[in-house]
Amino acid sequence: MLRCKGRRSKVPGGRRRLLPASAALLLAGCGGPQSALVTAGREAEAVAGLFWIMLGGAVFIWVLVIGTAVYAAYIHPDPHRDRVARWFLLGGGVALPVAVLTALLVYGLLLMGSLRSEGEGLRLAVTGEQWWWRVSYSPEGGGDVVHSANEIRLPAGRRAELLLDSPDVIHSFWIPPLGGKMDMIPGRTTRLVLEPAEPGSYRGACAEYCGASHALMAFSVEVMEPAAFDAWLAREAEPAAAPTEAAARRGAELFHDVGCGACHAIRGTPAAGVIGPDLTHLASRATLAAGTLPMTRDALARWITDPQAVKPGARMPPFRALGKTRIADLAAFLAELQ
Amino acid sequence: MTPRKDSLWELIAGPTIWSVYFLVAYVAAAIVCAKGGDMDSLRIAILGLAVAALGAIGFAGFDAWRRWRRGHEAAPPHDDDTAMSRHQFLALATLLLCGLSFVATLYVALPAAIFASCR
Amino acid sequence: MTRIEHPAPPRDPAEVAAEAERLEKVWESPKGWRYWSDVNNSEVGLWYTLTAFGFLLFGGVLALLMRTQLAVPENDFVSAEFYDQLFTLHGSVMMFLFAVPILEAVAILLLPEILASRDLPFPRLSAFGYWCFLIGGIFVCGSLFFDAAPTGGWFMYPPLSTDERSAGIGVDIWLLGLSFIEVASIAAAVELIIGVLKCRPPGMRINLMPLYAWYILVVGAMILFAFPPLIAGDLLLEMERAFDWPFFDPARGGDPLLWQHLFWVFGHPEVYIIFLPAIAVVAMIVPTFAQRPIYGYTWIVLAAVGTGFLSFGLWVHHMYATGLPSISLGFFSAASEAVAIPTGVQIFAFIATMLLGRVIFSVPMLFVTGALAIFVAGGLTGVMVALVPFDWQAHDSYFIVAHLHYTLLGGMLFPMFAALYYYFPFVTSRELSRRPGVIAFWLLFTGFNVAFLPMHLTGLLGMPRRVFTYPEGLGWDGLNMVSTVGAFVFALGVAVVVVDMLRPRGRQPYCTRNPWNAGTLEWLTEVPGKPWGVRSVPEIDSRYPLWDQKDFVRHVDEGRFFLASAKEGKRETMVTTAIDAEPIQCLRVPGPSFIPMVAAIFIGGSFIFATFAWYWMAVASGLLGVAAILAWLWVGTAEIPEKAEKAVGLGLTLPLYASGPAGVGWWAMFITLLGDATAFAGLVFGYFFFWTIHDDFPPALVQADLVQAEVGLGVAWPAAGVALAVAGWALTVLARWGNRRGAIYAARLVLVAAAAISAAATAALLYAPYAAGLEPTAHAYPATVWILAIWVALHLAVGVIAQLYCLARSLAGRMTAAHDIDMVNTALYWHFMAITAAVHFAVVALFPLAQ
Repeated sequence: MLRCKGRRSKVPGGRRRLLPASAALLLAGCGGPQSALVTAGREAEAVAGLFWIMLGGAVFIWVLVIGTAVYAAYIHPDPHRDRVARWFLLGGGVALPVAVLTALLVYGLLLMGSLRSEGEGLRLAVTGEQWWWRVSYSPEGGGDVVHSANEIRLPAGRRAELLLDSPDVIHSFWIPPLGGKMDMIPGRTTRLVLEPAEPGSYRGACAEYCGASHALMAFSVEVMEPAAFDAWLAREAEPAAAPTEAAARRGAELFHDVGCGACHAIRGTPAAGVIGPDLTHLASRATLAAGTLPMTRDALARWITDPQAVKPGARMPPFRALGKTRIADLAAFLAELQ
Repeated sequence: MTPRKDSLWELIAGPTIWSVYFLVAYVAAAIVCAKGGDMDSLRIAILGLAVAALGAIGFAGFDAWRRWRRGHEAAPPHDDDTAMSRHQFLALATLLLCGLSFVATLYVALPAAIFASCR
Repeated sequence: MTRIEHPAPPRDPAEVAAEAERLEKVWESPKGWRYWSDVNNSEVGLWYTLTAFGFLLFGGVLALLMRTQLAVPENDFVSAEFYDQLFTLHGSVMMFLFAVPILEAVAILLLPEILASRDLPFPRLSAFGYWCFLIGGIFVCGSLFFDAAPTGGWFMYPPLSTDERSAGIGVDIWLLGLSFIEVASIAAAVELIIGVLKCRPPGMRINLMPLYAWYILVVGAMILFAFPPLIAGDLLLEMERAFDWPFFDPARGGDPLLWQHLFWVFGHPEVYIIFLPAIAVVAMIVPTFAQRPIYGYTWIVLAAVGTGFLSFGLWVHHMYATGLPSISLGFFSAASEAVAIPTGVQIFAFIATMLLGRVIFSVPMLFVTGALAIFVAGGLTGVMVALVPFDWQAHDSYFIVAHLHYTLLGGMLFPMFAALYYYFPFVTSRELSRRPGVIAFWLLFTGFNVAFLPMHLTGLLGMPRRVFTYPEGLGWDGLNMVSTVGAFVFALGVAVVVVDMLRPRGRQPYCTRNPWNAGTLEWLTEVPGKPWGVRSVPEIDSRYPLWDQKDFVRHVDEGRFFLASAKEGKRETMVTTAIDAEPIQCLRVPGPSFIPMVAAIFIGGSFIFATFAWYWMAVASGLLGVAAILAWLWVGTAEIPEKAEKAVGLGLTLPLYASGPAGVGWWAMFITLLGDATAFAGLVFGYFFFWTIHDDFPPALVQADLVQAEVGLGVAWPAAGVALAVAGWALTVLARWGNRRGAIYAARLVLVAAAAISAAATAALLYAPYAAGLEPTAHAYPATVWILAIWVALHLAVGVIAQLYCLARSLAGRMTAAHDIDMVNTALYWHFMAITAAVHFAVVALFPLAQ
């Protein structure tokens, strides 16, 4: 448990199939890309610090109370003096809790105030939908809104404000290494402020039960150096690159002919659907289908063939009827959308 | 001294005052934050109300303490089959509940002292 | 008060034996199939307990299926859909069909015995509650076998629960089935509150009351204020599902958060409603095995009462992540921390008692120690999650799963196992085996901690709740496997207990009477048990009469206290005053009857038919249910006794009939109406909740449709309705007054007028929103106005039935000037109706004008 406390300097990436032995050992402790204990942001760090203090206190009190009970019942069952019982009840049962709880409450309230203070500059609008995330970035100092999906990128050291909502059911937005969660409630807009500290790859997930595929509603998180972030955002704002590989070119035509654009947008092409995720830079994301599959051609093909087999209840229809070859072409096209 | 007639309503005086205070503070904050209103006056009102509630609980507790001390039995358990024992038990229980309500009221007043906005 | 000299001098043994025989005959359960018509607390309590225990096993199997699915990552042991049914039912079954019912069950079984009362004041109401529970429980659980179980989670948040795509009939089954059971819970609460306050043995002053009774009193009051808001919420959600009234649809002015408020204002007190009665049993067990009176009795009363209050200020701590203002969250965080103080005090008082006594090792005590170890851990994590910033991380993660299981199993299940071992001889006159008990304890304790301790870490490593699967490589794999192994070890422990419970014990000798040498009255029970509860109802001088009162058991057995005989062949019990338990009435309680079962079947039928949208069948079944209840009231309540008074022993003569606040029926009506008013308050809260979230409320879209210039509902028709309702109330009070003064015919005429005017009030209140052209599906505003009008109108309609019932009783000679329970209770009902109608008018008609 050596790695339990403190901030992380380097953490394993998103969803890895095989882990080196050392990483596995780490994960058996407190790490992992979704851990709230090995933190990478100011909010999560403050909360983890609070947790370790409370844990220490809790263990102490538990040992004291249960130790006394076991002592009284089994180790020394004979009667003790009245004075012992009186001090135990008044000191342990009344004075101690009042003191501890008062201190905790004051600290907790002050901390809540500081965690909720305003963000600066960058704003993200994140919409939770069954079962994926619609994301758009409003850069500091104006500029066009950049649309993306199923991935959150944030600059390290800056307080970004996230505006959260949902068109269908209640979801909850949670990146444990960066900070606490916030619900996304239809009809309301909620706010969350995050100040990431350590660049790296993390994972977030939906925390509020939202239907059949609640378990498959995650996203990848990239915390970047501010300069790298700005460069990435500029690139993300650009339209999609034209397909190069032959299969990809066939796939692009197919994408248009099959009508994928009714639901999906790929900037720079006629596809401008808004029902499903924006695919303009799909292949640059770490995962597919909201943190459910790795971003590979095989996975893309598998998803297109039968989305419900991967994600029960998903709204995208299955395209098994296209046949393996054409689905492979589509996958080739999508895999080029860097 | 024959103890006067007791009632269970007296017993819950402290927690009842706390409940009313809690509800008023919660509703007032909810309305001010939803409908827009002056946060400073809200905070002053909630804290002022806290002082009033603490005073009322303190008074009820003091009254209970007096009733308890005036009884014949020096200390708990107050488990005799007499009207005096019952009277002192209820007075002591009232006193303890006032103590708890006092602390709980102080706790509930804290957020009004700490938060200056509806954020 | 004059002191009653007791016990009575010894009498001729032959006479006493003849008395005992007659008493036994009166209290005996019917034989054969008629056994199921019994209503006595010992039988109903036992059925209730066993049924709830059965649901526990069912819920446990669901949990094992879930743990099997989660044992390894990306498992496909069950489908996502089925997993959702599993966790929804697991939570719902454990909360609504096990935890709450078993506390009521055990209280029905134990409370009268702990108070040396022959029965609870309303035995048929207990039986009715039991049959409701059985029917509703089977209906809800049975849905799983038709793949129709609810999938919305036990909290049933809209819009997921109103989403046509994902929420099927399961949600309706959940809403209607559980609402039905909630009604039964409120019935039990009424029964238990009055049981504690009015049915104590003579001399058991409030400072001598066993702590169990204190806890049950508090819990009864909590149920009264916690369950009605959920019933109000259920009503709104079902109206949205069945008729598209948009209470929770933001597109039409609704708000999903309203449900969360109504659900959790029930849901958090409920945790304490579950915890307090279980810890109450601990308060009975600890003194027995420490062989000394409880230490800090007053502190424990403080804890029970204080927790009861504070637990109503916690509900938003389930909503910390909904984006409410910090100051609001702060209030609830403060109350959530404060509630730890009383919760802790009682634990310390128990341990202090153990310190002071000479503790005897026993299986119940082992379970108590285990319960404390687990519960204290859960309480400490509870203090952690009460802090908003930490909860933002922990909320909806496996940390909470761990926390809630530590509190509920430590605070409720382990104490219940302790109670099982402790009270098994009380019920069956035979003890459970010691060695299997110790083995079961260690299996349960180890299994529990192996399963749930790692979940704290799993949650902090980011694993959300209610996921049917999880990917490998996030650090959760090993922890989940460990949890699954622990769950099965725990299940093995449960199996050991069940086998020991169910194995035939025909040849096992009876245990000795009062086998643990306890000091409280329930251990007066004979070996083998007798149906009468206690041979004679004793006069009490101590908190532990069996320890302190000289030759107490012998005097009770020799019939030297109250009600030693049943000369008239009726079931009778004592009614005493609330503070000092001075005897004031000899209450005749009804005997076996199938009517409660029939009433439960019809009322249950109306809920079940409504689930399938067979509304005419539902209405027909509901009317039959109302008829059954009226028949039940007619033959079984407010009977005029053959004589005014009766000698109950020890030279005391008590009246057999008491109306008004002196009688138990008046209190039952009063308490029920408090609960009912709370549900109404829940609906009114909804109205003002919508007002706070909307800038214009009533909204413009409604105003635009109006012919009149008034805002929203208008004032004329609601004013007419409320005026008529108040007139109905005044006439009812007048009828009561006239009847008592002997003006029987005038009172009958006034009742006819009252019923006619009240019926007109009902019509006017329903016509009001119709006249204003309010379309309930258009927006949350008209929907809310309609639901309030329907609620008040339905209540007025019940008031009309009550007025006509009084008229009929008067005509039939079952209600006279001196025997006017029905009239007094009807007037009490109308006091509440007058207030309800006035509040309704102020809210829907006057409030919009004030803006």
